[in-house]
Amino acid sequence: MFSVLVCDDSLVARKQVAKCLPQDWDIAVHFAKNGEEALVALKEGKGNLLLLDLNMPILDGYGTLEAIQAAGLNTKVIVISGDIQPEAYDRVKALGALDFIRKPVSPQMLVEVLEKFDILHSEPELSTDVTPLDPNIRDCYQEITNIAMGQAGDHLARIMNVFVRLPIPNVNLIEVSELHMMLSDIESHEQVTAVCQGFLGPGISGEAICILSDSSFEDVAKILNVEGEVDDQLQLELLMDAASILIGTCLSGLAVQMDVNFSQGHPIVLGQHRAITEIISMNKIKWKRTLAIELSYGLEGYNVQCDLILLFTEESMKTMNSKLAHLLEDF
Amino acid sequence: MSQHLDDILEFHWMMDMLQTVDVGIVVLNRQYQVQVWNGFMESHSGKLPSDVRDQSLFDLFPTIKEDWFKQKSKPVFELKTRAFMTWEQRPYLFKFPNYRPITGSESFMYQNITLSPLISATGNVEYISMMIYDMTDVAVGKKQLEAIQVQITEAKERQQFSR
Repeated sequence: MFSVLVCDDSLVARKQVAKCLPQDWDIAVHFAKNGEEALVALKEGKGNLLLLDLNMPILDGYGTLEAIQAAGLNTKVIVISGDIQPEAYDRVKALGALDFIRKPVSPQMLVEVLEKFDILHSEPELSTDVTPLDPNIRDCYQEITNIAMGQAGDHLARIMNVFVRLPIPNVNLIEVSELHMMLSDIESHEQVTAVCQGFLGPGISGEAICILSDSSFEDVAKILNVEGEVDDQLQLELLMDAASILIGTCLSGLAVQMDVNFSQGHPIVLGQHRAITEIISMNKIKWKRTLAIELSYGLEGYNVQCDLILLFTEESMKTMNSKLAHLLEDF
Repeated sequence: MSQHLDDILEFHWMMDMLQTVDVGIVVLNRQYQVQVWNGFMESHSGKLPSDVRDQSLFDLFPTIKEDWFKQKSKPVFELKTRAFMTWEQRPYLFKFPNYRPITGSESFMYQNITLSPLISATGNVEYISMMIYDMTDVAVGKKQLEAIQVQITEAKERQQFSR
């Protein structure tokens, strides 16, 4: 299978780039946090295409391009960066990059470039990858999340006078290790703050994690009409409020469709109220896989980037599937 | 008739339960006037339900900032979502004395508070409920744990230096 490696030091950016990849493109996506990790992945054959950021710790984009040339690695490189000075463009071209896309990347821009270099249709292989989740069930979850999101977006838009860019929900069964990676990523990242909240319905239990990039705070304060300076204390409170609204609206949309009621626990700021390492080590044995629904919100006209991840236990899926049986009937 | 009587009896014990449950329950209308004030609130605040009924929350407790609280509860009324306040960020909203005035180490009660919408038969939210949980024991436990962690780190450092 054609493999794409996304290399960026920011979690938000990595996810954003990955989400811009064409939905119907059958590829394996891999991630790297810096040039060094990217080189290791490339040597393992995990990147027929490399989407590369320039400013990164340890080994930056320029260094990575040099190393790729030096090692003669066979990969196509497209640079995605916020640094759009002409000099940067010339430098990366000279170092062998095919093209340069300015951040934030949009699906249209990415497709254009991929088409331009005929990457979309290169090495077309039939998919042999087995999805762990029944596609019908995945569709069904995706659909109910879409509807819930639509309602949530409508609420938010009307109350706060903002336009919510509705993401396509990403539904997956993820392993413990993947969640660990995600959580430790949040911890190692100073630019994001995460809130986690448990929720519970009859036969359904799970947790919602809301990740907000720190650059969003000022705009969140504006939207919530908070006046005065946003200090650390207020920042946290804002995060909790924003998270409660996002989690609450999304959960109630899901609850209506499944005809259940969710009760919510008190939200917890990850890393502050509870060390992430503690969560990771404590949960080691309790579960193996979890159903994850990932949503990436954006607000038009505001610099607000927010990821919402709903995690359901594997047992919950039985209840949920039976609640959603009427939607699955036709299959 | 006996069905009616049963209903009334049931209503009576339900109310009794709300009254005696060890969690603070307050119901507010859109003007933030108190509609329900259960036994927990009565005992801890010393204010009788008859004293607070239809009174504005902000008049009763001037320490609660009106703008802030309205901001906090706006999504509860408008979006029907819950809002939360945790003791880690705001140790208390109502300054109540510690439940254990003699053996307790803190002078006041740490509180977790949840605001939830009360949805009427017509689907509107005219009232919100406020639940006040006593988190003092958790807070004390966490403070002690943190103190011990600091002590351990210090002891380790001393050990390293003395070597």
